[in-house]
Amino acid sequence: MVELNATLIAQIINFLLLAYILKKFVFGKVLQAMSDRQARIAGSIESADRERAAAEELKREYQEQLAQARTQAQTIVEKATKLAEQAKDDIIKEARAEHARLMKEAQEEIARERERAVAELRNEVVSLSIAAAGKIIGQNLDANANAKLVSDFINNLDGQKIGGVQ
Amino acid sequence: MGHGGHEIGSHKVAHFFGFAFNMDTLYMTWMVMAIVIVLAILAVRRLETVPRGMQNAFEMAIEAIGGQVDATIGPNSRKVAPLLITLFVFLLTSNWLGLVPGFTSPTNDLNTTLGLALMIIGFVHVLGVGHHGLSHFKHFIQPHPLFLPINIIEEIARPITLSFRLFGNIMAGEILIILIAALPLYYGEPLVGVLWLGFSVIVGLIQAFIFTMLSTSYLSNSLKEEHH
Repeated sequence: MVELNATLIAQIINFLLLAYILKKFVFGKVLQAMSDRQARIAGSIESADRERAAAEELKREYQEQLAQARTQAQTIVEKATKLAEQAKDDIIKEARAEHARLMKEAQEEIARERERAVAELRNEVVSLSIAAAGKIIGQNLDANANAKLVSDFINNLDGQKIGGVQ
Repeated sequence: MGHGGHEIGSHKVAHFFGFAFNMDTLYMTWMVMAIVIVLAILAVRRLETVPRGMQNAFEMAIEAIGGQVDATIGPNSRKVAPLLITLFVFLLTSNWLGLVPGFTSPTNDLNTTLGLALMIIGFVHVLGVGHHGLSHFKHFIQPHPLFLPINIIEEIARPITLSFRLFGNIMAGEILIILIAALPLYYGEPLVGVLWLGFSVIVGLIQAFIFTMLSTSYLSNSLKEEHH
């Protein structure tokens, strides 16, 4: 059942023949293909790393620019707000001044009108008084003397009775 | 052994030039060689960058065994890696061929396993001398000259254990396949047979791997830079 014979030598030769054939026709090709693939994968990984680094650099740049833009926008808004405040203050101040000037003018106008009205009224009263007095006493007095007389009389009246003209 | 049917362990012996050859073992060996060569050539006929099918299987074998060889031997592994990968593929195909009905494993013949083991031991010494010169044989008297007998026994034990382990496993597996088929089991027989066949597939793989790895380890001492 267990006999050693020349088969032993034949098997060694068979095996070495197989090893030779495989080494010559198969292993070289396979190893070449495997190392090619390895190189290709390494290249792919390397280029992917490179591209990722570039993308990260780009992202960092964009973020920087964005931050810069944000700062600028804030500055612009602040400046605009300040300008608007300024403009508002100016407008309000101007409006107040205008208001005060108009008030003053109006008061002056009123005072002037009143004075004129009082003067007119006084003259009217003097004329009427003289006419009335002439009719009453039936004689024509010297007109100038009469006017003087009535005017003095009115001036002596209490100022309040004709509207308190100063 | 018996007559007719499957004859376990008996060989058809032919004589050429006064030498005896087990023809059935040789036929099966040539068949294994043809299968390995055809599969290998099919695998590399159209090498693709993204491997598929046979190429993938072949590359897996090369990488698995080549990686082990690299790890064990180191930088000089390129010299013996093709030999060891071939050894693994050859043994695996041989072990599995015996599981196909009508075929037997070349490894169920001690001539095959002992021949391969002696070839490996021969390579150990040839490569050792080629690599380290005559100081290669110093390991017989290490760590002390008194160890010479033990080292010689170890040296003799190596091919014997290497060859008998594989031979015994494959032989026993095939004997059991035939015995199970012959058992008068009415219900369990197909199940037991299938289970044993599946187990034999794993045994064939493991034994091929063990033989290859032990050969690698024997060869590694001859190729390592510092020699013990």
